[in-house]
Amino acid sequence: MKKIAERIWIILIVLSLFAFLVGYLKLINTFLVGILLLSTFLKGQLISDYFMGLKEVQLKYRIIPILWLILILSLIAVAYYLPTTTP
Amino acid sequence: MSKILSQKEPYPPGDFAIWIIVYVELLTFGLLFAGYAFSRRVNLQMFNDSQLLLNQSIGFINTLILITSSFFIVKAVQKIKNMTHSNGYESSIIASKWLFAAMLLGILFLVLKFTEFSHLFAQGITLSTNTFFMFYLLLTMFHFMHVSLGVIILFNLYRKTKMYGYSPENCRGLETGALYWHLVDLLWIVLFPLVYILR
Repeated sequence: MKKIAERIWIILIVLSLFAFLVGYLKLINTFLVGILLLSTFLKGQLISDYFMGLKEVQLKYRIIPILWLILILSLIAVAYYLPTTTP
Repeated sequence: MSKILSQKEPYPPGDFAIWIIVYVELLTFGLLFAGYAFSRRVNLQMFNDSQLLLNQSIGFINTLILITSSFFIVKAVQKIKNMTHSNGYESSIIASKWLFAAMLLGILFLVLKFTEFSHLFAQGITLSTNTFFMFYLLLTMFHFMHVSLGVIILFNLYRKTKMYGYSPENCRGLETGALYWHLVDLLWIVLFPLVYILR
């Protein structure tokens, strides 16, 4: 469990670099939108669990930011994946 | 033994009030994030074209800044919580240095964001330019204000920590301030891909 904060920090940096490269190299497509949303969920959960310290508290407190992430990222996914009607 | 090891803390770290603030902020930003995503569906081309005017590199550097400053805060809180009577003074000084570094990163975030805003305003872009920039400026300026408040909080935490103001038994104020900064980080973690990357 030692150096856990360092490991979380590195994972967050790597996932952010991945998101940046996808955008910078203009690789974004329907599949990668899903991958980016999943990686955003993972980043958010790591911050909530390890930086905010919710991993070691009761589930009723830990679950709220997780549910928020699931709800918001799902809504974003719906907005991106639902077909648009062109006028 | 295994039952004792698996027992969770009954309450989260920090004051109760900060969790109310955290949940209210998550709700507010959540509504804005969803509003952005669904408004984009109405005029995809305009959103995609406007997004090209943003500087993704600055957005990415700001992401690194916030993640790293959050990490520094974690180190500061750990240092205080692992403090003993024999190393109390040294631990406080080291923790205050972590907090100071986090505060400097917060200021750097504000400078870079201010530069980005200035560049957009110089191009004549305002809240009323189009729906994309209305959401972009609303979200990022609202977040900017949160970072500004966070920097002030970090400065106060730094001063108190430097004066040996926290101990493992008495660090709720430090935890509360730290939580606010992590909230600011969490919000940016969603804001960055949504506004700068996804198209």
